[in-house]
Amino acid sequence: MGMLKEEDKQYIREQFEGKLVGQVKILLFTQKLECEYCQPTEEILKELSELSELLTLDVHNLQIDSEDAKQYNIDKVPAIILLDEKDKDYGIRFFGIPSGYEFSSLLADIIDVSNGASDLAQELVAKIAGIQEPVDIKVFVTPTCPYCPGAVRAAHKIAIANPGMIKAQMIESTEFPHLANKYAVYGVPKTVINERVQFEGAMPDQAVVEQVLAAIQVTDS
Amino acid sequence: MEFSFSVSAPTKVDLAETYDLVIIGGGPTGLTAAIYASRAKLKTLVVEKGAPGGLVTTTEWIENYPGFPEGVAGPELGRAMQEQAQRFGTEIFKGQPENINLTSNPKEMTLGGKKVTVRAVIIATGTKPRKLNIPGEAELSGRGVSYCATCDGPFFAGKELVAVGAGNSGVQESIFLLKYATRITIVEYLPTIQAEKILVERFNSTGKGSFLLNHEVLSIEGSDKVTGVKVRDRVSGAETLIPCAGVFVWIGLVPQTDEFKDILKLDKWGYVEVDSELRTNIEGVWAAGDVISGATRQIAAAVGSGVTAAMSVEHKLSQQS
Repeated sequence: MGMLKEEDKQYIREQFEGKLVGQVKILLFTQKLECEYCQPTEEILKELSELSELLTLDVHNLQIDSEDAKQYNIDKVPAIILLDEKDKDYGIRFFGIPSGYEFSSLLADIIDVSNGASDLAQELVAKIAGIQEPVDIKVFVTPTCPYCPGAVRAAHKIAIANPGMIKAQMIESTEFPHLANKYAVYGVPKTVINERVQFEGAMPDQAVVEQVLAAIQVTDS
Repeated sequence: MEFSFSVSAPTKVDLAETYDLVIIGGGPTGLTAAIYASRAKLKTLVVEKGAPGGLVTTTEWIENYPGFPEGVAGPELGRAMQEQAQRFGTEIFKGQPENINLTSNPKEMTLGGKKVTVRAVIIATGTKPRKLNIPGEAELSGRGVSYCATCDGPFFAGKELVAVGAGNSGVQESIFLLKYATRITIVEYLPTIQAEKILVERFNSTGKGSFLLNHEVLSIEGSDKVTGVKVRDRVSGAETLIPCAGVFVWIGLVPQTDEFKDILKLDKWGYVEVDSELRTNIEGVWAAGDVISGATRQIAAAVGSGVTAAMSVEHKLSQQS
């Protein structure tokens, strides 16, 4: 018995059939020991990648493939990265299993990467595309939080608009308690931008874009 | 370990330029209205900013919705309703509508940067949790003050909590939080417990919870995170500090009508005033579910309200075409 229900597989197949354009490579970084969620993450991604011919799954080991890990800035597992057919990295990161509501974030991200664009409004894309310095967005979530995919997707869509500069991470709080502690996360979603600007709750895309722009100004001054 | 995977529709829908009906809010009301409208062959779009089901998704387990003798998980019910609506052709847009013009004809709004026009609108935005409005609440929100047990419960494993409000939500969600927390004190302003007896019995049987009735919450204490709650005995006037790592607030709900307050007629609490067919004061705009004045704010009632609104919309639009 797989992790996805047969009816869900069918639904995803139909979604992918209608909406995927180009290939998407799912990179998974994992390790054998001391990683409770690595194995189930690999299983769910394996099932998912079988639902479209345009999807491939590439599993790397954090220790053995340390050069790759370094290239993509991966320091904890499980970690998921989405690349397009030309190996373009859109800055999307999932740290921790994308289960519960976050699975729908992953599905939407795959469709966006396949299309090379999201539904972020054009005027916001223009603002984000103009950013010329590195931006790091961390979004802390729990899988049972219905508001969290809103925050994750906003961050990921912003990364897609300027992948050279912006990295946006989903962080599953219960798997990385040391990070939840470090960033004083007691409520989700919580977004931290460039270690300086932070806010709780899911906000409309425009408000998140404004926070990103504010974070750059803070960093500059 | 058991995992669930929500496969709700990805956001990328190719929006049409025009719809017969846009329903703002994808909770039980909006999704039920969508099922009826789609079956009546109205081109229907539901706009939902969060997960399918709205506030229902923050309820771990629902036992008073008919048809589920063992109860049903909130997210599961929301998702099933959304799937049912989609099966009949309803489109779902995830996000928030902007530049809403309800008074123009046709009505207009912007969705993800795209302008759409629409013949009829149902406001089914529902409610959000009411805040205490006491010192410390806003400052410590997300730092131990929470309104969503399913979201934030895991952060309080092995900790002691205070819940405010002994209604159904307060008691039910406290039972859920005891999966994580070691102890919960439910503080209630009134001298009596409002929750259903079956829930109170279940809460008491955990042996890890207690009620503090007839107490007013004065402030939430802590500098960078919650360390306690200050309460006052409404009889003796004595003030006490209850040490805790988190405070969950369930003191009722407020309508999500802020963006319509200049256009729609609202009652003094901010709920939308409607007639028996759920029409608002604006032609072509209906309101249904928890957001309307006098609603009982129960899922079963919300569902019925969605039906009434959809049938009224259908009747009206069939006269026009």
